[in-house]
Amino acid sequence: MSRLKAEHLYKVFGRRPEAAVQRLEGGASRDELRADGTTAAVIDASFEVEAGQIFVVMGLSGSGKSTLLRMLNGLLEPTAGRVLYDGRDLTALSARELREVRSRNISMVFQHFALFPHRSVLDNAAYGLEVRGVPREERRERAAEALELAGLGGWESSWPDELSGGMQQRVGLARALATDADLLLMDESFSALDPLIRRDMQDQLLDLQKRLKKTIVFITHDLNEAMRLGDRIAVMRDGRIVQNGTAEDILVRPANDYVASFIQDVDRSRVLTAGSIMDRPAGVPDGATTVGTETPVSELFAPFSHSGTPVAVTDERGELAGVVTRDRLLAALAEPGADPGADPSPATGAEVTARA
Amino acid sequence: MPRISLGGWAEDAVGWLQSHLSWLFDAINTVLTGMYDGVNAALGAPGALFTAGILAVVAWWLRGLLAGVLAFAGLALIDSLGLWHQAMATLSLVLVASVITLVLAVPLGIWAARDRRVSGALRPVLDVMQTMPAFVYLIPGVMFFSIGPMPGLIATIVFSMPPGVRMTELGIRQVDGELVEAAKAFGTTPRDTLLRVQLPLALPTIMAGVNQVIMLALSMVVIAGMAGAGGLGEAVYAAVTQVNIGGGVESGLAVVVLAMYLDRMTGALGKRVSPLGRRASAKAAATAARRSPAFLSHRPGTAVAAVGVVVLALVAGGMHLVSDDGGRQSVAAGKNVGRGQSIKLGYFPWDEAVAATYLWQNVLEERGYKPDVKQLDPGPLYTALAQGKMDVQFDSWLPTTHKQYMDRYGDKLSDLGSWYGPTSLELTVPSYVKGVDSLADLKGKSAQFGGKIVGIESSAGMMGKLNDTVLKAYGLDGEYKVVSSSTSTMLAELDRAIKKKEPVVTTLWSPHWAYDKYDLKKLKDPKGAWGQGEQIHSVGKKDFAKDFPRVAQWVKDFKMSDKDLASLESAIQGGGKGKEKDSARRWLDARPGLVDKLAPVGT
Repeated sequence: MSRLKAEHLYKVFGRRPEAAVQRLEGGASRDELRADGTTAAVIDASFEVEAGQIFVVMGLSGSGKSTLLRMLNGLLEPTAGRVLYDGRDLTALSARELREVRSRNISMVFQHFALFPHRSVLDNAAYGLEVRGVPREERRERAAEALELAGLGGWESSWPDELSGGMQQRVGLARALATDADLLLMDESFSALDPLIRRDMQDQLLDLQKRLKKTIVFITHDLNEAMRLGDRIAVMRDGRIVQNGTAEDILVRPANDYVASFIQDVDRSRVLTAGSIMDRPAGVPDGATTVGTETPVSELFAPFSHSGTPVAVTDERGELAGVVTRDRLLAALAEPGADPGADPSPATGAEVTARA
Repeated sequence: MPRISLGGWAEDAVGWLQSHLSWLFDAINTVLTGMYDGVNAALGAPGALFTAGILAVVAWWLRGLLAGVLAFAGLALIDSLGLWHQAMATLSLVLVASVITLVLAVPLGIWAARDRRVSGALRPVLDVMQTMPAFVYLIPGVMFFSIGPMPGLIATIVFSMPPGVRMTELGIRQVDGELVEAAKAFGTTPRDTLLRVQLPLALPTIMAGVNQVIMLALSMVVIAGMAGAGGLGEAVYAAVTQVNIGGGVESGLAVVVLAMYLDRMTGALGKRVSPLGRRASAKAAATAARRSPAFLSHRPGTAVAAVGVVVLALVAGGMHLVSDDGGRQSVAAGKNVGRGQSIKLGYFPWDEAVAATYLWQNVLEERGYKPDVKQLDPGPLYTALAQGKMDVQFDSWLPTTHKQYMDRYGDKLSDLGSWYGPTSLELTVPSYVKGVDSLADLKGKSAQFGGKIVGIESSAGMMGKLNDTVLKAYGLDGEYKVVSSSTSTMLAELDRAIKKKEPVVTTLWSPHWAYDKYDLKKLKDPKGAWGQGEQIHSVGKKDFAKDFPRVAQWVKDFKMSDKDLASLESAIQGGGKGKEKDSARRWLDARPGLVDKLAPVGT
């Protein structure tokens, strides 16, 4: 059973939202509703998140991704649909039960950090525990541990206004980690940071994730960030999830033109792996470089820089799975639609892998 | 368009409230008056300088040594001006009003911040409270709560409430929505969200509101002084009506000192109580280069300040005990017919009223009564008499000037007879205006006087008479326009014109001290248009003769000659403001046997 499951979530703002949901189910478009003064922020969103996974929801502003996130912990009540956490329907809980879930099981990291300016760093990190009524000594201890995890050991007695943006977000992260909640909701948490700091924070999150194995729903408008962090990525547009898959799925097999145009700017060499672009294993010359199926494409440039021979790709057991030629590599890096030389069949990789 | 009788409905509503909810008003009155009396007793305790010292220590604790020294200097100045008790009465009124206002305003503001509909419903109510002229509810206030600090307190609360509510609402709404969301996302209850996040962060704005509440309350006390609230308001009001510029400046200055003290203290308190404020001042102290010598901004610890306050309070209390005995004036044996019965004398600041009231205060004290003297506007005073909340007043001009009040309340009052008369109403010009000796001479000379007659309050009986009868009788009604202003404005205009030797024609009446001060000419009234002169009556509440049989008899027999009244008025004028009682005392002492004549006790 998945840790978190969203079933046909709708959120409509404005008058008579239930009626609007019925019209949407009957095939009405978002624009038709807007003409009547109601706004459909999220339309029929369903997905599952497995325990220990990072699930990224990606979309431009106004696509409904923040609204979707807030329905997951009940900050916004869905107009229709259910949210199941460990099989428990959160939409059916009373306000008190929902608060209990928020203070124990689900925590949140915000875009603009949302630190309490009237509390010290330690008291900010301890906030969730304080709400839950954990005794002072224990909560200070646990908050200090969380700060240590987030890389802020030694800053406990500082104040939020003394910290840089990146450090403030570490406090926000520590505040979310301190409650030992299993599910972290991260709302554009790194978007307000400088690019370099953002990379640091992404690395730190991946590093933490290796150790802590949280379940994370991460909202972003930055596809590179989505590709770096996400085990699975859902792309949202106009309130709907238009594609839900792995980073490679989205790069290699964009569901529609919108997703395709979205991924133009992505550094494909970091996302694509040798396994996803290889051809059938034919004519491998002796002495060819050998890489694994999970090797990022960016690491294939070096072998090709001093010889034109194809690179061999092997699976986990060391058996030959396929080859990558120089032409194939170049074709894969070009965007899919504008590349007549590339093999458009999405089944290629799978076929090859299956045969091997 | 049919006439909508809004005013009639309001009057009916007030009447209904008065007859059906008097128990409620009495309860409110008891509680609030008790609060006020308590605070006033503490602040107004003898040993003004000790109280000033306590307030200065508070300033030192909140803002630093310099502020403490300045506070002490300002308060000592008030004491030296002889306005200490008025200032403390005002401070008590402001403090009690502010506390009650905040107790009501902050929860209302919180409620409004959480519910748009409440906010929308409150807004017009707050607008009305802030802009409705205070006099409009000052009079009903007197009807519900009698004269004294209460109507002033109510008016002050009504007037200063809006900024308290608005700033609280604004402060809470201003709190970053993401912070509130963060609190919710960690499972905080709505109540804790308010207490732990919204209120602490809104506190600087709320404290700005508190500051506004206090300052508005202070600005209201002058108006409240007209309804018998006492304090500096009364002093300012009396000074203004008597064109006593020096007194006005002094009491106005005392208001300013209090205002600055309260403003700076609430500002500093705002920094002290709000976590953000503490954070900001800690940061400023850490980073800012010292611009002033350190000792000026030195602040004692809370414990030290508390000890200072307690020591000063104890010393002041000790002084109070020592000075308490021997202070009472003894009443001659056999003449103590009052036996400590308290009697409330009211007056409005007309000179003959001041004279007669303070004269009787001395006489009644000598007879063992406890006379309590209160200054009020005529409207509130007659209302209070009609309700039996005031016992007697000495300045009822009948049958014309105060006709309206007698018509309205006549059956609830008892006329104790006239003690001076006849008075006269007239138009007056300075004697340097040649060729104008009678009302008839005014005709055709309007250009000389700018076409205007300087009048007094439009509500005054003589203004109606002037417009309706006198001007018509002499054919002046098309030629002159009667400018209604106030008595003090009229006197100021007269003073200005005389200093520049400009022609001016004003309404005036006798007796009036202006005839002593300036060289004026009463315009003759050959047609008798002003009518007969009036008599100055004493008017008591309905049961006055029953409650105070002896005093009623004395007052009925009370007569005063023109000469005596003039000398008493000038003695009181010469004695200075705030010393009316002593001046009247000295005037009485200079006339042995007069007390026995005024208030004979059986041998």
